[in-house]
Amino acid sequence: MEAFELLPEEINHLVSEFHSIPVVGDLMTGVTQYTFWMIVSAILLLIIMFAFVKNMSLVPHGMFQNMMEYIIQFIEKDVGKAIVGKTWKKHFPFLATLFFFIFVNNVVGIIPGMKPGSGTISTTAALALVAFIYFIACGVKVHGPIGYIKSLAPSGVAFPLNVLIWVIEVISTLLRPITLAVRLFCNMFAGHIVMGSFAIMVTLFAQPLLEQLTAANVVGALPSLAFGAILLVIYGIEMFVGVIQAYVFTVLTAVYIQGAEAEGH
Amino acid sequence: MGVIGYGLGVIGAGLAIGLAAHGVANAMARQPEVQDRVFTVFIMGSAFAEALALIGFVVALVVK
Repeated sequence: MEAFELLPEEINHLVSEFHSIPVVGDLMTGVTQYTFWMIVSAILLLIIMFAFVKNMSLVPHGMFQNMMEYIIQFIEKDVGKAIVGKTWKKHFPFLATLFFFIFVNNVVGIIPGMKPGSGTISTTAALALVAFIYFIACGVKVHGPIGYIKSLAPSGVAFPLNVLIWVIEVISTLLRPITLAVRLFCNMFAGHIVMGSFAIMVTLFAQPLLEQLTAANVVGALPSLAFGAILLVIYGIEMFVGVIQAYVFTVLTAVYIQGAEAEGH
Repeated sequence: MGVIGYGLGVIGAGLAIGLAAHGVANAMARQPEVQDRVFTVFIMGSAFAEALALIGFVVALVVK
């Protein structure tokens, strides 16, 4: 099995392609391949949204209009009304923006040859930081600065325990943006690594057949059919993961907003 | 070594997601009308469990 011997080197090459490489300028001020695809997906999102808003009517017509209304109603009902509660109308634009931005980024990244804007820790960290500042600001707006810091600890707990719970709550609040960023990044990164690995397996087994057409090479290339089938399945799963991760990010942000606004936990 | 470590770490996450799915299946079978809310809780719970497995994945890649 000489195909398996070549695998580690190919995988290393694959992983090295996932590092940020500047397309224009340098790493600090330039545009990396991730930023480029993020801009592309942002423009795509703008086009989709303007096309949607232009044809908006009381009774939606056509597949595109109905689909968009379904997604928006889904965010409204399942994320807004069910989780945030009474003040959902105020937070709906932010939550919907997060969902659509991450969703389009993930889906664009699935298309072969393109990269997901959310496939680098920098993008997801920025998104998580925005969500973090947003829910802290919501808490401060409702309770006031001192009140918010106090409201982290539940009321009605005896004095020494109170302080301990407050410390734990502060730590868990500070960990929230980190987990948000790492979750989205790892899902995208791991998914693409797995897809890339199977694509490499397919090519490694089929390589001898492309060079020379013999009976032994044809038999040797048979595993690549199996790997190709697995690759297709994983491709489907990755599409699903892209949607789910956008949903998870939005839901968690909604949960944090609700927690920040809630009265005394 | 990194791969073995990742395998060990992912046991917990796998069990956690399995337990979550088991609970959700039970809850949905008993009370189909709360499907939407149960699904949201399931997704959130498995997202937390899965995050640990993914952190393990990155650590296995980074630490040689």
